[in-house]
Amino acid sequence: MITFNRSQLVEAEFPDDDTIRFSGVQEDHIYSMEIGMDVRIADGEIVAIKGLMKRYTNLVCPAALPVLQCAVGISLREEGWDRRVMREIGRNGCEHFAEIIIECGRCFDQARMSKEMWEALQKDPTLNQERFVESWAEEHPEILSA
Amino acid sequence: MTIRFLRNKVVEVEPLPDGDLAVSWRLTDDLLKAEVDLRVRPPDLEIVEATATLERLPLKQWSSAPQLIKKVEGVRIGAGLRKIVNGLLGGPERCSLLAHAVLEASNAVILHFTRPGIQLGEKLEGEELIAATRAMLKSNPRLVRSCIAFQDDSPIMQELEL
Repeated sequence: MITFNRSQLVEAEFPDDDTIRFSGVQEDHIYSMEIGMDVRIADGEIVAIKGLMKRYTNLVCPAALPVLQCAVGISLREEGWDRRVMREIGRNGCEHFAEIIIECGRCFDQARMSKEMWEALQKDPTLNQERFVESWAEEHPEILSA
Repeated sequence: MTIRFLRNKVVEVEPLPDGDLAVSWRLTDDLLKAEVDLRVRPPDLEIVEATATLERLPLKQWSSAPQLIKKVEGVRIGAGLRKIVNGLLGGPERCSLLAHAVLEASNAVILHFTRPGIQLGEKLEGEELIAATRAMLKSNPRLVRSCIAFQDDSPIMQELEL
């Protein structure tokens, strides 16, 4: 039988031209948490964040909720942003919140490329998708580090 | 508002009859379908087998993923793993996705071993709970200051009087 399962779900929407809005859920046999965060597309800065802690292991865990606000101002473009999230949100708060933020951050460029490919396909259903990805990655090499 | 991107990721740990652990890591999103499978051998948690497939629209820079993943065979899940795995698989010139997959799969193995202790602790109260928590921190010293619950000023740590 399966003795441990962790499932993550990350969704991205674009409420306006400047913002990507992530919703991240992490469920496993031990923990259950959610993160919602807005990121400014131009520089990858987290501009708003909220969290929900649904299942945790001790009474101190919910004290990690206010620590989430330390993520506001962190840019997904800065060197070592994921380590910073784990240090400032994970160690000082909850590492599982940090894991969700990091997964949302890793989806930043994939979500942008997905949106642009969708729009390109609306204009040209015969679009060569492999070539689109190749060209997008050449123009946005930051995706290789995601 | 419709969403424009959706990623689903699942990691599972399954003990095998011979004592090894099968770890399955799966990712699917609008552009990518990725699978990494590890076979991990207790007691030293050596990764004895590793395979990877990337489908749908993977970046061409990741085309060597099925060969690259073999580099983690022989690596043990333990201290220094993050540095080792990132050195073998990470960075823009290799395949950071594989590094994330191996580290997340390894974390799931640790949580597979952690789960029974947490479940036992749910039945404890008072002095028994404090003793069990103290024993857990003694056997897992990395937990100390790993999150808000185990910082020096947390009520748990103050009660433990370590």
